[in-house]
Order: sequence, then structure tokens, then C-alpha cells
Amino acid sequence: MDAAASDAEFADVAAGEPIRSLDPSIRTIWLIKMAGMSVLLFLPVLFYDLTHLFSPDSWLPFGVLSGTVLVLATLYCLAWPRLRYRSWGFALRPEEIYMEHGVLQHVRTVVPLRRIQHVDVSQDLIEREFALGRLVVHTAGSRSSDVVIPGLPLPEAEKIRDKIKRFILEDPLIEEPV
Amino acid sequence: MPSSSSSPTEPDPSVHDAPSADDNTNGASSTEGAATPSATTLGAIHEPQRLHPLTLLLRVGASLPALLVIMFPLLRNPGSTENVTSLVLGVMYGVFALPAILLQYWRFSYRITPKQIVIQSGVLNRKNRSIPIERVQNIQIERNLVARMLGLAKVKIETAGSSSTEGSLEYVHQDEARKIRQVVRSFQRGSTDAETAAEATEEEEAAEVETLLDMPLRRVLLSGAFRFSLLYLAVIFSVLELFNPETLMQRFSRAGRLEWLATLVLSHPAIAILATVLVAVFFGWISGIAVHVARYYNFQLWLDGDKLRKRHGLFTVTEGTIPLGKVQTLILRTNPFMRAFGWYELKVQTVGINVEEQGHRVIAPFAGAERILELARRVRPFDLPESFANVSRLTIRRRFVRYTAVLTAALAPAIYFWPPDWVQLGGTALPWWGFGLVPFILGWALLQYLNHKYAAGEDGFYIRRGVLSHHLWIVPTEKFHVFHTTASIFQRRLGLKTLFVDTAGAATFAYPEVIDVPADEADAQFSALYRRFQTLYRNRVEAATGAPDTRLDPDERPRLPTDDASG
Repeated sequence: MDAAASDAEFADVAAGEPIRSLDPSIRTIWLIKMAGMSVLLFLPVLFYDLTHLFSPDSWLPFGVLSGTVLVLATLYCLAWPRLRYRSWGFALRPEEIYMEHGVLQHVRTVVPLRRIQHVDVSQDLIEREFALGRLVVHTAGSRSSDVVIPGLPLPEAEKIRDKIKRFILEDPLIEEPV
Repeated sequence: MPSSSSSPTEPDPSVHDAPSADDNTNGASSTEGAATPSATTLGAIHEPQRLHPLTLLLRVGASLPALLVIMFPLLRNPGSTENVTSLVLGVMYGVFALPAILLQYWRFSYRITPKQIVIQSGVLNRKNRSIPIERVQNIQIERNLVARMLGLAKVKIETAGSSSTEGSLEYVHQDEARKIRQVVRSFQRGSTDAETAAEATEEEEAAEVETLLDMPLRRVLLSGAFRFSLLYLAVIFSVLELFNPETLMQRFSRAGRLEWLATLVLSHPAIAILATVLVAVFFGWISGIAVHVARYYNFQLWLDGDKLRKRHGLFTVTEGTIPLGKVQTLILRTNPFMRAFGWYELKVQTVGINVEEQGHRVIAPFAGAERILELARRVRPFDLPESFANVSRLTIRRRFVRYTAVLTAALAPAIYFWPPDWVQLGGTALPWWGFGLVPFILGWALLQYLNHKYAAGEDGFYIRRGVLSHHLWIVPTEKFHVFHTTASIFQRRLGLKTLFVDTAGAATFAYPEVIDVPADEADAQFSALYRRFQTLYRNRVEAATGAPDTRLDPDERPRLPTDDASG
């Protein structure tokens, strides 16, 4: 690293303005979605258990398989949204969006605002009930072409979108986007 | 996209005049260039043009194999009455397919105004595509063997926005193709008087163009000899599947001389396996050379102002341009054989061009180390750092554990289900011997560590990685896009992180990732890379406007709404 550069120049990107969490009700949304998925997984297992109820050569007593799946799914649905919520943080800085997330795989991402091609706010059915929106940031990068910040209150998401839009539009550099 | 629905269902005689009729009905916006007085130029192709008539021949030719398949039963057994279906299908081909080809040809037209290229196509569904001239990034002229014999060329128009070809003219006369390219280029330079501009361009080109690389046949052959691809091998074997080995053997024995060889090969399974492998390697090598020569025969690369132009190919001659400003990343690639003799390949990563090359275009298929660095510097100047840093040594351990786990997961079921009457080598089931690979895994992990290095220079980020396919990525600071660090649950236990700077159009695999850097080092590099990028653009904004970026003033800059409320 360049010795002449001041410490402030190379200050840790993470140690900037305070990092914000998502809206707490995103946990409920995640819980609902995961519960839906778990039921889809649980039903075939239950069906298997029921059809083998009276079979003489069943390798497990009745209910063990579906019971295990049910307990595991419940634990997953209860714990995972909390863990995920706790791992999420983001900050909108003057020139970049900083975010960190991931339970098993910790990911820290910096998206420079001038690299953003366009911004969307999207909402699915469940999110609409909770008046939350997702900020979807499109860049030309390959692996991170869509960066998503879920669970923002809709007005806030829209405000962020407008601000980013203005930043892009007012770019004094006349250069091609890529 | 404007689309006209003028008489879509009835192919009556008015079809012939249709393109000009469309011109009047919906081409109003597209002819705005023609409305200005300066646009009454000779160079612009205002009249809708058809493709070359020989295109018809080529398209009918391309559809013949299908006809052959349909008529196959009839041809095999002409007198039979069971061939009614194939006869009917054949007649349907005559009634529908041939007129369809004719109609498609008739209803396809293109023209080039100073503002845009307009391509109209479609019989039932009319499509009117206009491509703004200034968005055209590359006009690629492709000529395959048949097209070359007929003097035709395929013109592909590529733009920055889309990842695939935006418009394709298949086929036009080769002179017309060249003219289209010149006209578009001269329009891009802002001149409307295209005919004279085209001439001027030609002269200019003659003066400016500098040949960067010209590969004689010997060099291309040598280059091919260093490539060995299992892919071609797979193709060869899948073709061989179609032949019965018995008949092949009989053919050979009938030829006589080779009988001793056949008996020798068949005398012991080990020899047979060895012979097969040798033959396979030989064929793979030969076919690699053949494919390479077909692709890169007469490879030429020119620097034309701020664009690279290249032309290569034996049967299909491909011509293309790459604007220097669009080059995102330089990639130097080599393999262990090539590296032993000091040969390298140079590729560049671009956006919105050929998908087949995954956004990677070969600039120099084969050249010595000095030459390749010189070429790379012409494409984009850089200072190759003196020293590269290694990633953490723990990466060996992590990779070793991971690969061993994968191996175990693959072998365990095989061991469990291995029937006792199958091959037992040395008293144990055969799959157990798979664990003999473990020392090689260790060696592989070690090689991966030794070949994985990175350096963050002032002007960019340099990453080397890969054992069999050795890459050096040169990512310029001004092309950084999104910055990531990731740490999986296993990496966190060892205090490691993966560092990744995304660029536009990067490949989905083999991207410049730095895997297993010590966590604090990764964070420091992450910040340093981002700050460098930030400083570069701040200075650019200041240079462009003469003042620091106003958007960064405390009251101007983007903030979270709640921050506004509190502050």
C-alpha cells in the first residue's frame, strides 16, 4: 500500500456512517415464505408416512419421519429469519451503497453509485401487505448485476431510488456507461 | 418498437412495393435524417435494400437436409405405396417452405440513414428495427466458405446495450458489406457527406492503421500444437460410437498388414487400454490443431486510431473491430506446455459483443512473453507490479480438506454398494483404491496455492490463478464495478476471506477472484481498491467541471430519509 497516502484515505470502508438494519417486519415476511416452502416439503413426507401406516415391513415406526421433518422445519422457520435479519446491514453513503449480509456466507458489498445503471423498487404480494419494498440495483457487473436490499418501508425505498436516480442523472462526467 | 400490420396475411402483388409503403406509413420517425437538407448524400442508403439474390439459393440449400430427411423413405423404397406421408410432407415443403423463404427474402429490407440503421423484416409479423448509428459498436463481417465462393458476406451489427447481435444482414455482396461498414463509420465520425467521407476514411485508414500482429501459417500451426482439448476428443468418440467395432476390425484385417497390431492390442486388456489412450491423445492433438488453424488461419490485428481491428479464419473469415475504450479487462492466458516454452495468449473482456466468446475476445492467440506484454500495453497501458503477494497458506489445507471430502462423498456409496463378487483388488473392494488419489489432491492444492497471486497496483488490480489454464487478469481501476468480500463458514474459522472486484461482462466462471486472503488483509485491500477508484473519479469530475463534485456537498448528497429527519 502507498505509504504516502493518509490513513483517512484508506480508512476502512465499513467504518463509516452508522449501518442501518432492515425493517423488523421483514422477519415475518421471511417466516411466511419459509413456512410455505416447508409445508411443500412436509406434505410429501406426510403422504409417505400415511401410505406406509399399515405396511408390515416399514423401516421406521409411524410418525418418526414426518415428525422429524416437522420439528426441523419449524426450527428453521423460527431461527433462520432472525439470523438473516441480524446479518443484514446497509448504508447509503455519498458515493456508494455499502451492504453486508449472509448467515453462512458473510458477504460485504460496495456498489459505487456511479456504476448503477438503473434502480427499481419492487414488491410482491406478501410485502405489499406489510408495506415494504425491495430496492433492486442494476449494474453492468456480471456476478452482481442485480443487488437487492429487501425489506425497506416503501416510501423510504422510493426516496432512496429517487436520490440515486438524481445522482446518476447529474453526473458531470460525459462518458459512456460501461 | 414500431411495427406495421400492413396486409400481413395476404401476400398479394403489393408485397413487392411493401417496403416503400412501410416507409410512408410508419417510417416517419426513421426518415428524420432524410428530412434535413444535408442528408441528401450519396453515401447514405436511403432506398430500402434487399439482400443479395443469391441468399435465396443459400437458404434453399440450407433447408435441403430437412427435405432429404422427409423424403428418405421414398428414396430408399421408391415403388412402395407406404410412402404417402413422406410424399405429402414433401409436397407441403414445396408449397409452404419454398414460398416462405421467398416471402422472407421479399419482405426483408434495410437502409442506412445518417441517424440510424433501419431493418424491416417478417412476413406475418412485421418487425421494424432501428439501431441508432451512435450506438453501433461493431460491424462484424463474416464470410463462410460458401459465401466466399459466391462473393457474399454476412454483416452483423452489434451495439453496446445488448449482449447479442442487434441486427444481422445475411447475406449481402461483399463490396456492399464493406460499404456499409465504411458508411456507418463515417456517420459515426459526424460527417454527413458520406461518399467523400468514405474515401477520406479509406485514405486515413491507410495512413493510420498499424499492424500489431500478423501470424504466418507456421505460427498458427505451432499455436495449435500447444492446445490440447478433451472436447474434440469427446466429439470424436461420440462419432466413433456410430460405428460397430467389429466391422472396423474386419475392415482393418482385410487390409492385411495391420493384423499383427490388432492381435497385439487385443492380447492383454492393459495394452488395449494404453493403445486406446494413445490413439485418443493423438486424435485429440490433431483435431485441436485442425480446429485452431481453421479458426485463426491468417490472423491479423491492426490498431486503427482508437479501435482494434482483426481478421482471421480459414473457411469462415471473421472481421471485427474492438474499440479500445470498451476493453474492460486484459487476460493473459497460458497452459503449462505453453508456459514452459514462453508462449502466451492475450484476450480482452468487452461488453455487449459476441456472446459465443463469452464477452472475451482473442487479441493474440499465440505470442512470446515480451511480445504479448507489448501488445497488451498498446491495448491499454499498465505497470505490471514487480512482486505479487501470495494468498494465505491455509488455502492449501482448505482446498485439501474440501477435495478430499468430495472424493469421499463420491466413493462412499460405491464402497457401500460394491457387490462382493465384483473386482476385489488386494482383498478390498475396488473403490477403496480411489483413496490412492489423496496424495495427488495434496499436490494439486499445493499447485493451486503456488499459482494464485495478486497485486494491487496504482493503476489496477492484478490477479494470477489457475494450474492447467493459467490466467493473469489485469483489471484497470477505472473499470472497477462492484466490490465484494465473502467469507464462508469454513473460511471464517480460519480467518480467511475471498476478495472480488466485479467488472462489466466478466465470465460466469474463471473470474478474477482472490480466494483465501487473510481477513484483515482482504479488508484493507477492499478499502484501498475502492478508495483508489473513488479518488480516480473524483479527480476526473474535478478535471471535467473545474470544481469538486457538487453532489458530494453535505446538503446535496444522497442520504437516507431518516438521516434527513434527524439532521
